[in-house]
Amino acid sequence: MVAELKYEISQNAYIKLVLHALKHKTTAVNGILLGRVNPQNDSVVEITDSVPLFHSNLALLPSLEIALIMIEEHYGSKGLGIVGYFHANERFDDAELGIVAKNIGDHICRYFPQAAIFLLDNKKLEALPMGKDQSPVMQLYIRDASKNWKLAGPDGGSRLVIKEPAANAVLSDYISSEKWQDVVDFDDHLDDIKKDWLNPELFK
Amino acid sequence: MDCQCLNVAKDCIKALLKKFPESKRVGRLEGMLLEAKGSWAEAEKAYSSLLEDNPLDQVIHKRKVAMAKAQGNISGAIESLNKYLEIFMADHDAWRELAEIYVSLQMYKQAAFCYEELILSQPTAPLYHLAYADVLYTLGGLENLQTSKKYYASTIDLTGGKNTRALLGVCLCTSAIGQVSKGKNKEDKESPELQSLAAKALEKEYRQKADDKLGLLTSALRSLKI
Repeated sequence: MVAELKYEISQNAYIKLVLHALKHKTTAVNGILLGRVNPQNDSVVEITDSVPLFHSNLALLPSLEIALIMIEEHYGSKGLGIVGYFHANERFDDAELGIVAKNIGDHICRYFPQAAIFLLDNKKLEALPMGKDQSPVMQLYIRDASKNWKLAGPDGGSRLVIKEPAANAVLSDYISSEKWQDVVDFDDHLDDIKKDWLNPELFK
Repeated sequence: MDCQCLNVAKDCIKALLKKFPESKRVGRLEGMLLEAKGSWAEAEKAYSSLLEDNPLDQVIHKRKVAMAKAQGNISGAIESLNKYLEIFMADHDAWRELAEIYVSLQMYKQAAFCYEELILSQPTAPLYHLAYADVLYTLGGLENLQTSKKYYASTIDLTGGKNTRALLGVCLCTSAIGQVSKGKNKEDKESPELQSLAAKALEKEYRQKADDKLGLLTSALRSLKI
């Protein structure tokens, strides 16, 4: 029996991805999850950082390939690897995991078999400012034994957690101050290489 | 309407209606307000009646496509957009929209066709050369990769060598072509000049503007040459 893996995402990685999705409300966006298996507990995958990728033409390969090479190179030198993929659909009421997301997820699984896909949950995001929910506004998808992507069951809520419990409160704050304007993704970098996809100043 | 201030929009439209009672444009705005509210059936009715009086109104045709897309009926949107383009084949935005929809569904051959139309009608627009090259690279296969490289090259030409995506595209193509033609009889017409020029241009750009990423670029280029 494969032990049930838990995924723990850091506040900054989490907020960066959601802000990115909010910056580009009218298109689909995606991002890469960086991290490692917890050295003290190998049933936990820690996501310590994220890189927002694109907000246009997500299904084209050239930019994706370059992005993956550079991201792996940068984080590899820090002992971190690509551990998953984030996707936000174009339409508010589209809660399906699309084919592009699945394909990219499959590709990442070749290098990190425990990789997961996080899909933005638009309804939860909408309800965010009104509630005290500490669970992430994302849905967790993992591959089953036949390599199909499945939504992590009704207890999926406990398999994807944010490391810092107050993250949603911080996120709500950032949303009111429109912090998403400051997020830089790989698309922005390719259009103007002065823009840094590492977003070093975002949370300072 | 873009800001979801639907009441304000309603008031504005009322005022416009008073001043311009028979206006097509106000009729369109009314349709758009219904769309914004999510009243798809009523919006459909409104647009259809407007189309009866003005069957060649491009904007309304496109609003119907937009509605299909917004409701998640992508195949309907594609069908309507194709029909639209049979009549209004000079509408570049419509070709672009269709291409992007095809890409999102991974229907790359069809997307390539759209970009071919766009390049035919606007051969000096680098955007279309670049998009076409991206789609061809994604399709893969030796012939597509070689053509893709040519279109990245033409993009570089049209943009004075400043387009990062095109420069990277040349390097990616060269690497992929090398991979695909490994073991095949190499008719080496491929001169290494284009790719090394592209690499040099990229390094220069990064050194000037994104110095901290130069190391990443260099190792990326290195890994591509394998």
